Amino acid sequence: MAGVANTWGYGAMTNSLNDIRHSKLVFMIGSNAAEAHPVAMQYILHAKEVNNAPVIVVDPRFTKLAAKATDYVRIRPGTDTAFVMGLINQIVSNGWHDEEFIRARVAGFPEMVKVASHYTPEVVEDITGIPASEVVRIAKLMATHRPGTVVWCMGGTQHSIGSSNTRAFCILQLVLGNMGVSGGGTNIFRGHDNVQGATDMCVLSHSLPGYYGLKDGSWKHWCRVWDVDFDWIKSRFHSKEYMNKKGFTLARWYEGVNQDDKITQYTPIKALIQWGCAGNSNSQMAKVKKAMDKLELVVIVDPFAPAMSAWGDKDNVYLLPCSSQYETSGSLTSTSRQFQWRFKVVDPVYESRDDYAIMAELVKRLGFADKFYKNIKQVPEDITREICKGTLTIGYNGALPERIKKHTLNWHTFDIDTLEAKGGPCDGEYYGLPWPCWTETHPGTPILYDISKPVARGGLPFRARFGTKITYKDGRTENLLAAEGVANPGSKVKGGYPEFKDIVPGTNWKTDLSQKTIKEAISRGMAPFGNARARCVVWTFPDQVPVHREPLHSPRPDLIAKYPTYADKPDHYRVYTKFKSEQNPELVKKFPFVIITGRMVEHMGGGAETRGNKYLSELQPEMYAEINERTANNLGIMHGQMIWIESPDGGRIKVKAKVTDRVDEHTIFLPFHFAGEFEGKSLMDRYPKGLEPYVTGESANVVTNYGYDIITQIQATKDGLCSVTPA
Amino acid sequence: MARKKIFNNSIPGKRSRRVTINPRMARRSFLKLSAAAAAVSTAALAPTLTRKVSAQTKAKEPYPGSKKVKTICTYCSVGCGIIAEVQNGVWVRQEVATDHPVSRGGHCCKGAGAIDMVTSEKRLKSPMKRVGGKWQKISWDQALDEIAAKLLEIREQDGPDALHFNGSAKVSNEMAYLQRKFAAFWGSNNIDHQARI
Repeated sequence: MAGVANTWGYGAMTNSLNDIRHSKLVFMIGSNAAEAHPVAMQYILHAKEVNNAPVIVVDPRFTKLAAKATDYVRIRPGTDTAFVMGLINQIVSNGWHDEEFIRARVAGFPEMVKVASHYTPEVVEDITGIPASEVVRIAKLMATHRPGTVVWCMGGTQHSIGSSNTRAFCILQLVLGNMGVSGGGTNIFRGHDNVQGATDMCVLSHSLPGYYGLKDGSWKHWCRVWDVDFDWIKSRFHSKEYMNKKGFTLARWYEGVNQDDKITQYTPIKALIQWGCAGNSNSQMAKVKKAMDKLELVVIVDPFAPAMSAWGDKDNVYLLPCSSQYETSGSLTSTSRQFQWRFKVVDPVYESRDDYAIMAELVKRLGFADKFYKNIKQVPEDITREICKGTLTIGYNGALPERIKKHTLNWHTFDIDTLEAKGGPCDGEYYGLPWPCWTETHPGTPILYDISKPVARGGLPFRARFGTKITYKDGRTENLLAAEGVANPGSKVKGGYPEFKDIVPGTNWKTDLSQKTIKEAISRGMAPFGNARARCVVWTFPDQVPVHREPLHSPRPDLIAKYPTYADKPDHYRVYTKFKSEQNPELVKKFPFVIITGRMVEHMGGGAETRGNKYLSELQPEMYAEINERTANNLGIMHGQMIWIESPDGGRIKVKAKVTDRVDEHTIFLPFHFAGEFEGKSLMDRYPKGLEPYVTGESANVVTNYGYDIITQIQATKDGLCSVTPA
Repeated sequence: MARKKIFNNSIPGKRSRRVTINPRMARRSFLKLSAAAAAVSTAALAPTLTRKVSAQTKAKEPYPGSKKVKTICTYCSVGCGIIAEVQNGVWVRQEVATDHPVSRGGHCCKGAGAIDMVTSEKRLKSPMKRVGGKWQKISWDQALDEIAAKLLEIREQDGPDALHFNGSAKVSNEMAYLQRKFAAFWGSNNIDHQARI
């Protein structure tokens, strides 16, 4: 998401699932929506069958989604940037790019084209394994079917160059002029039900809610919202430095315990709260297991006994039963940025308590309840109101609890084609008030950066987030605001403009809690955040324009020499993170296969919920590894036989071989939902008695490799190496 | 274009091959076949079928005194609508929401069994603590008192950054917000969740 936000302002899906009905082409790279987002398929298939849209699926594996594709492109894992820059190169060198769109709304185009020109069809073939003729053919398809949409998921992001991949996808859409239009956009399908909302609330170590960051100004903003003294919050921290310093991430928190890589924090981590999060989703999972025994306190809050409850030998673990989300209420944000109210169905079952109640009891005992709940009397509605009060950056402020409930209760009044209510109590509003929802009467923004509509009716330009002018390395200076004459209908300024500030002296549109600034902007027909260009060059990233870099554990020593990874990063979210020192061209000799992981439709995430469901467990009862026929035959492995898979980092799992040509002969695929077995041994007797999952299996993440994104530190689970032997 | 071909396999060295036939044709032949099958089975099983239909009609009647609650599936980010039927505080049945503007009555196998999230016997039933390697039931008060005391002790000895908090993309916006706010008030940025991975 960092790559996307750094291109045009916000890191979220730009259009909506329903809007794919208007696509003339669907390009899906690193997504298996048929299993991960099955109900979204109706819109993809609508585009395919009604619009005759080509559905291009780019994936190392012939997935269930690929089975629905018109064009399947098999790509070598971790080479998305090379392929997409190759497409861009083809599009531009044939003159198929949208010149007017680029002139008016894009920055850094010539600089980007220069980099892309390296990726000729032949170079792309060498890196990605995609035939040169296919690169040319797909580029032409995309040029002749507009508007097209680009969809991706974790297959695009879980790489050491994940944030280059996502930027390349964005640039592709800019070059084609597919942004800000119905049927176009970058439609990033998010995973869990509320991953968009939880990201917006910034349950993240680098930001406060609403992407405000960790600078003093951000803290002061939220202190005003919370109605607490800035100095009191400061006094809660070890020192001011740690208030502004990014914390450990989910990907590598355990290094704060194990310290296999050097940490940059004054103390090791000694206690862990794991609240609604699966431990078996971490790559190099054995390290998480090891950390559990070093911690002094582990608190697991979950509706089911998760994988972690069967790990560890120390008496340091508590299991707290929270209710499911059907036993409480609150809002959530779908992948299409839509708010919905999840009404409570029943009271918490057994002795479980809902999340809010557990948090309240904990905070009370830790001694800061009076300050924490200062504005919160009615739960959860007063919390929603506090969120609305402070989260101005992404326009949560108009999505008041009463409005969200009204939408959910009247969902039948919305048109499936436009998502606009036809009459009824929500007349003229878009379903779920897709953010930004700027005011208490704003209808929501169904398509981001759409300059065909007035801002008050859901239109927007690109966000002015990166200054107003830039001088590139080659000396060229460019205005970063949109060109003359390019603005939303009704805008008082006919062209680019910077963000709004000083309407209320000393504040800007993000920090003016009276919201006068936002209202003033809207009344002038303008976007509070300005009207700028999307950028192809991100001068704060190590690769200013996306370039290919080989995965840390690459099967191609020759390409490591040509496209080496980054230098090591000594303080990457408080831990030394290896890049160059981890990239070893010899590794492939012992570990000749590439490992990728993914979902199955019957299970979800770490699988505690779905493997605790007897029906789903019956449908998909077993862990397996997909292995190509030719590979299996060469290794003497029969379909259904047990095999050992080993990673260069020391992890090993014993799983059943599924011999199939869904994967090519270099690749092994593993579903990642299983747990309860570890390195060939069952952990069943370690769960609380009677609460063991119906099905267990080895966790794929025991053998996923070392490797993290250079910007976000997302783990590289889609491009490591492994070896395979019959068990 | 979509109907004409298609599946272009990009495995080097393999020729492109066509794998789907015209879907219209396929559908038509399927309909013919199923019509024939229906005719046969109706003739043969008519009495059974009649009984089944009436049983079905009865099954569609609401549970006495029940209410219907609109809610949202907890699995993926599509956000499908669910209509839950609740009788005397018990979730007795779920229905698809055919009028939901995104899911339009669609469900995957997980969402179709949303009710099992509440009815599963595998749900954690009370707070537990591991003692001597065995899981032991404890009260909420004991659990929370002990956890809070230990957290305060660690905070005192090692500082607030000795705690790491992994929050969730599976809770409401309000709860996600409270998780982030908790870390802020505790005094650490060591908080993260699934969006990172």
